Amino acid sequence: MNAVFCTIFIVSAAVLAFAAPQDFLTSLLSGARTSLNTALTLFCVYAVWMGLAAVAEECGITKKAAKALRPLCFKIFKSKNEEACSAAAMNLTCDLLGAGASTPFAVKAIGEFEKEGNAYAQKLLFIINCAGFQLIPSTVIALRAEMGSAAAADIFLPSLVCSFATLAVSVTLYILTEKISSKKCRKNNGNKRKEFAAHLKDKERKTAGNGKGAAWRS
Amino acid sequence: MAFIIPSIFIIVFGVAAIKRVNVYNCFSGGVESAFKFTLSLLPCLAAVFMMCELFEASGLSAIIIKALSPAFSFLGVPEELTKLILIKPLSGSGSLAYLTRIITENGADSYVARCACVCYGSSETVFYVSAVYFAGLKQKKLLRPIAISLLSALIATILACALCRVM
Repeated sequence: MNAVFCTIFIVSAAVLAFAAPQDFLTSLLSGARTSLNTALTLFCVYAVWMGLAAVAEECGITKKAAKALRPLCFKIFKSKNEEACSAAAMNLTCDLLGAGASTPFAVKAIGEFEKEGNAYAQKLLFIINCAGFQLIPSTVIALRAEMGSAAAADIFLPSLVCSFATLAVSVTLYILTEKISSKKCRKNNGNKRKEFAAHLKDKERKTAGNGKGAAWRS
Repeated sequence: MAFIIPSIFIIVFGVAAIKRVNVYNCFSGGVESAFKFTLSLLPCLAAVFMMCELFEASGLSAIIIKALSPAFSFLGVPEELTKLILIKPLSGSGSLAYLTRIITENGADSYVARCACVCYGSSETVFYVSAVYFAGLKQKKLLRPIAISLLSALIATILACALCRVM
C-alpha cells in the first residue's frame, strides 16, 4: 500500500502543481473532511454489528458454531493437529457470521499448521479467507441502510451467490493446481533419482517430503 | 429478505437472555471495541481520502478509467467500479472509502451502488491478508495462492454485476 500511496500521491501532486496549484490544498482538506464523515458512518455500522457479535460471543453461539465446523476442518485441511483445527474453525465461523475478529484465529491456525509442516493447509486457509465468504454481508447492508437505501438487505441474495461461487472457484483452482504441481514435483524427483546416485538419496527424500508431503498426507 | 436481520438480533439476544448473559454490558462492550476500531481506522482513511481527492483533482483517475473502461465494460462491469476494483486487493480502508463514495454519488439503491456492495462483500484485501497471515513464517511461496485469489476476485466482480442485473 505504501508504494501505491506514494506513487499516486506524488504523481497527482506533480500534475496538479502544473495544472491547478490552487486546488492542491483544498482537495487535501476536503479529503480529510470526507474521511471524518466516513468514519462517523462507519462507527454507526460497526457499533451495531460488533455489539451483536460481542453478545453472540459471550453466550457461546460463536463457539458452538465453531465446534460444528471442526470435523470439517480436520478433513479439508488434512491435518491432525487439534489446536490448529479449532483455531481454523473459529476463524471460519467468524468469517461466516461477519463477526470481524477472524484474523487472530487465522494467524494462530497458520502458526499451528507451520509446526506440522502443512503448507497445503496454510495456503488453503488463506484462499478461503480471501474469498471473503459471508452468510450475511452485515457491514455492507448496514452501510446501505445508513446511506438511505429503501431496501438495504436486497443485496443479500446476490452477495451470497456471488461469494459462494468465488469460494468454489478459488478452492477448486487451488486444489487443481496443487495436484498438478505435486505431480510435477514427483516427476522431477524421479528424474533426479536417475541422475544422482545413492549418496543423494537421503537429501532427496527430504526435499520430496517437504514438497509434496503436505498434499499427500490424508 | 428484510426480516432476516431483526430475527438474527432476536435469536441472539433471546439465547443470551436465557443463558443469563449480561446483554447490556456485552453489547456496550462490543460498541466500545467498534469505537476503538473506527478510531484506529481514521488515520488510514484520512490519508487514503486525501490521496483520492488529489488523484481525482489532477485528472489522472479519469485517464485511467478511460483506459480501462473498455475492458471492464466488455465484461459487463460499470466504469464507476474501476477504482474500487483496483484498490480492493491492496487496502481495506481505501476500498471502503471508494465504496462509500460510490454509494453517495449514485444513491444507495442504484445499480452501480448495489454492484459495488456485492463486489465489496465478496472479495478480500488479498495482499494485506497475505502480509498479516504469513508474517511470521519462513517458507512462503505465495505467488500461486495470491494469483488464484486475485483471479477469483475478478470473477466475483463480473458475476456480481451480472447478478445485480437479474436479482
